[in-house]
Amino acid sequence: MHRRILGLTLACFSLGQLTLRAQDFKVFDREVQIHGFASQSFVYTNTNNWLTMDSNQGSAAFTDFGLNVSSGITGKLRVGAQVYDYNLGQLGAYHPSLDWAFADYRFKSWLGFRGGKVKTTLGLYNDTQDLDFLYTFALLPQSVYPTDIRDATLAHTGGDVYGSISPMRRLGDFSYTAFVGHRSDGIYGGFAYLASSYGVHFSSYGGLQYGADLRWNTPLKGLLVGISRINEDITAKGTSPNPNPGGAPLPYSSVSKADWINQFYGEYIVGKLRIDSEYRRVLHDESTEGGLLLSTSDTRGCYVSGTYQVMKRLAVGSYYSRYTIHVVSGGPLAPLVPDQTDTSLPGNHVYDKVVTVRVDLNRFWDVKLEGHFMNGYGFGPYPDGFYSQDNPQGFAPNTNALVVKTGFNF
Amino acid sequence: MKYRKILLSLFLLAAGSIIFGATSSLADDIKIIANSTVNVDTISLAELKAVFLEERSSIGSTHVEPVLQKDGPAHEAFLQEYLGMSDDNLQAYYRALVFTGRGSMPKVLGSDAEVVAYVARTRGAIGIVSSATRAEGVKTLALELPNSGAARKLITRVEPDYPETLKRLNIGGTVRLRVSISPKGTVEQVELLGGNPILGESAALAVKKWVYAAAKSQTVTEVTLWFDGR
Repeated sequence: MHRRILGLTLACFSLGQLTLRAQDFKVFDREVQIHGFASQSFVYTNTNNWLTMDSNQGSAAFTDFGLNVSSGITGKLRVGAQVYDYNLGQLGAYHPSLDWAFADYRFKSWLGFRGGKVKTTLGLYNDTQDLDFLYTFALLPQSVYPTDIRDATLAHTGGDVYGSISPMRRLGDFSYTAFVGHRSDGIYGGFAYLASSYGVHFSSYGGLQYGADLRWNTPLKGLLVGISRINEDITAKGTSPNPNPGGAPLPYSSVSKADWINQFYGEYIVGKLRIDSEYRRVLHDESTEGGLLLSTSDTRGCYVSGTYQVMKRLAVGSYYSRYTIHVVSGGPLAPLVPDQTDTSLPGNHVYDKVVTVRVDLNRFWDVKLEGHFMNGYGFGPYPDGFYSQDNPQGFAPNTNALVVKTGFNF
Repeated sequence: MKYRKILLSLFLLAAGSIIFGATSSLADDIKIIANSTVNVDTISLAELKAVFLEERSSIGSTHVEPVLQKDGPAHEAFLQEYLGMSDDNLQAYYRALVFTGRGSMPKVLGSDAEVVAYVARTRGAIGIVSSATRAEGVKTLALELPNSGAARKLITRVEPDYPETLKRLNIGGTVRLRVSISPKGTVEQVELLGGNPILGESAALAVKKWVYAAAKSQTVTEVTLWFDGR
């Protein structure tokens, strides 16, 4: 596996070097751009295995890469697509996916439309969370941007309406996005992996998703604040274990009765200092097997981060991230999913203190060194990096992690 | 108590330098140049920002394309004073656009001369060069500021003559003028936008003698004058 990772990484880096000179070209007198990125991480944890990796032994099973092509067909119409592939411990498994592919028509600065598979605008970084090279941190705060269940909010197949308006100059600028579409999680994602620990294997997981984002570039230079909302109607289908020994797996289905995400965020940039803060609440009210199991999970995540560009090629950063989960179950199968109501318990929260150093070797290549000091393992129906099947010996209450990451883009 | 006051003063000084430091001028004058196909002579600050942040792709009826310099004083001045972001932040902004499919990397060139040459031969191109650059084969766009009073201080004001005949007939009203002001502050061009043409001619003669504070580039503003006919 390590050879495969190394080979893929080298191949991607080589491709990047080759295409550096050929990323712009013309087809039928239209300029076409090709861009790509790749990253490779090594993670070591002192106690629990994290993010489905054997991180307690030290793991390099954290690789991703993407390649996109786009072109401006006319001044107002753009088309493009990006392929993304990743492996994170037991997730992803190098099954490439269409990350985004859409046509974008911008009538005016205040009105545009996108149609196709579109990255979902949610909070500061949801649509760019895979683009490691944009951030000082090796891992974004997992309470708000959980890497293992990135599929949940990443993209939708449908359409967006978007634009920017400046009603009065002294009030700053407002940007809006409203969208509707279909969410479709990969069966190699965190929810599917979590369900597999109960013997449930998903064949599909997704459904209708619609929402909006409004952000305000305030008159105070460098200060942006915003709010996002998503409503969902999720259906999971697959198979569940047969209680009769030797029997064929039984059909499985679950539907969400209420499913929404609220996110509030702010960003302040002054000189070389950047301060971000976000709060996300995810409510998932689910009915499984026609009401045999009813569960309501209420997950709340928030963080405050600061980064400082010490010099052109060196940045440092730190954040404090809090994740809590509250679960209440009902129905005949309720004993299978115990309630989680005390968020002070380590099983119901993850409090993560992080320090990072980022060095840019050149404009295209960066290296990051990051330390995580986590209290709690927040194990529940909305996971946050810790899974029981990766930790059969049980969970330790605290986990320290070292993440070394290198990324490349062109 | 004395120490507390000194500490408070130092804190306020530091906070002030953080908040207001970014607005101080750090670089030389700039000039906004455009390909001859760009069918406007002026561009507002909001339009300029929107073009370079790829929030809009046309000005008037013309498709436009931003052109940047890799570095240099004109580039730095433009980023700090017009876009309000560092080069690193701008690059990150463009990469976020590119890798989410919402935009493309703009053309980046190495010098003023390269920008002028590229803008001259590329339909719709708009670029930023230092004001001393010879802009041959391209047009120079004047920056239109939304509020002349706040943006450029009027240093010398000459009141218009009220034409005797109109005054006697109690003919007055408002005259609106579009005024192009040079970087040095002298009025270069006056265009009547509305009002009585005779009053407008008188107003234009006076406004041409006005002097504004110096600025980094040519600006255009709107001036309204009132002739009281009572």
